Amino acid sequence: METKVRFGGVIVSHGQVANELLSAAETVVGELGNLAAVSIGWHDDVEAAKAEIESAIKRVSRGNGVILMTDMFGGTPTNISAMFYKENEVEIVTGVNLPMVIRLATNTREMTLDEAAADIEEQGKTAITRAGKLLAPAAHRKDA
Amino acid sequence: MLEREVTIVNPLGLHARAAMKLVKVATESSSQIVIENRSCNKTANAHSILDLLTLGGSKGVTVNIRIDGDDESEAMNVIVELFESGFGEI
Repeated sequence: METKVRFGGVIVSHGQVANELLSAAETVVGELGNLAAVSIGWHDDVEAAKAEIESAIKRVSRGNGVILMTDMFGGTPTNISAMFYKENEVEIVTGVNLPMVIRLATNTREMTLDEAAADIEEQGKTAITRAGKLLAPAAHRKDA
Repeated sequence: MLEREVTIVNPLGLHARAAMKLVKVATESSSQIVIENRSCNKTANAHSILDLLTLGGSKGVTVNIRIDGDDESEAMNVIVELFESGFGEI
């Protein structure tokens, strides 16, 4: 699966969230050479964080573009990541969750970077559910 | 097209790593493989781990396996064995 993956991905977060999300995805899917994690410490220097993201982008790039998945819109990891936005080269999707990471790690379909970013955004949203309703739908139907 | 019904027997159900084992079998097969949980009306493409995880496949749930393709018989045997062995967890 790994060899057909088209896009690179970097998870960027406050604290250790990025490292742990990558580690969890690798436990599920296997080693992910197209993904990297940058965890920004609460007191890290902006220039140092920027250099780390830049190096991660270079490391994971496969020539089709890289998607930065950040933890929270408006937060420092997103704001620094946004400096790298470049159409057809680097996209940023916020609110990263594990299904989004797995989606990017296993996406072997022919699509543009723009479409891949939209796909990950959609996946992230659909992965948020009230599990009780999914697991026991009958209990929540009006006619039940 | 082949169809079989199996019950999920491992305590953790069709969780992430178990689902990944299913994906690996599906990826190696040339057939179309679909898993359905009729109790909550959900169908998943066995090539997609994220699809499989939305089936709500906890222990005791019965699912239908449908396989269509050249190696459907071999793929069915491997997949039924995976479910019956609790994905190697019991």
